[in-house]
Amino acid sequence: MAEETSKYDDRDLVARLRNPSTCRDAFGEVIRLYTEPLYRQIRRMVVSHDDANDLLQNTFLKAWQSIENFRGEAKLSTWLHKIAINESVSFLERERKRLNLSIDDEESHLINQIEADTYVDGDALARKLREAIASLPEKQRLVFNMRFYDEMKYEQISEILGTSVGALKASYHLAAKKIQQYFDEHD
Amino acid sequence: MKENDILSKIGRNDGTTVPDGYFDDFATRMIASLPQQEWEREPVVLHRSVWQKIRPYIYLAAMFMGVWCMMKMVDLMRPDSGLSIDSNPLLTAAINNDEFINDYFLNETEVNDYQLIDDLYMTDFDPGETNEIEQQTL
Repeated sequence: MAEETSKYDDRDLVARLRNPSTCRDAFGEVIRLYTEPLYRQIRRMVVSHDDANDLLQNTFLKAWQSIENFRGEAKLSTWLHKIAINESVSFLERERKRLNLSIDDEESHLINQIEADTYVDGDALARKLREAIASLPEKQRLVFNMRFYDEMKYEQISEILGTSVGALKASYHLAAKKIQQYFDEHD
Repeated sequence: MKENDILSKIGRNDGTTVPDGYFDDFATRMIASLPQQEWEREPVVLHRSVWQKIRPYIYLAAMFMGVWCMMKMVDLMRPDSGLSIDSNPLLTAAINNDEFINDYFLNETEVNDYQLIDDLYMTDFDPGETNEIEQQTL
């Protein structure tokens, strides 16, 4: 999905975003274009649909409020994904504090949420993969989701997360290995 | 590799769904709820009265008039300007006219003498007393 979005030539869109008279219409187009990929990204991190919905609203609201600062130096999709990820990570941090969860507790909390999730298609393997991903450390989860589901290039992930490409590759392979172990242990 | 086999077997479907029409509804609601930005507001146009509009031009014109008057004044104060008696034919003719001088200057002197004597009588002046003083002096 993100790959499809990245194919969109957003030069014209960015030019209209930077013009006060066309900015609102152009941002409406941005919302229509990026609602689904950003929702998917947030949902994979926070699990619950309702939380993802709230965080998606916050993401677009923050993007809108800081649209004046968007100079078009970074790709539009990179900028939006960065905001979405910051929102997701801040939310998980707040939840950890609110529920007084340790890192290990968070894993079981997320797995419980996956089991209780009502907006699922009933694919048992897909659900097991979600649980395996939930067992990963936060950064590895982010990298794995962006690389595997969103099919982002390491260079784009590097821009979003501010991590070197080499470290991202290592992180992704380690995550894939842990997922394999999870499947082996939960057969 | 075995791990790639698992991931390729599962595919890229994450198994999550959303309520029907969620993405379209969300986008519509989100667009409608975007707050108005400061820079979107129309700039406030202050309505100016006619006097406020023409005032700078009036002041400018007055300033030029002032400068012109000053220059004119300096020009008139020069020795060869029109204010000099020699260069004014009307004044020259009047001064050379004896009748004019007698009428206006000499008669003026007589009037002054008469007024002086009149004033002396008004203050109990005694001409006999003055003669006595003159004889003593002599």
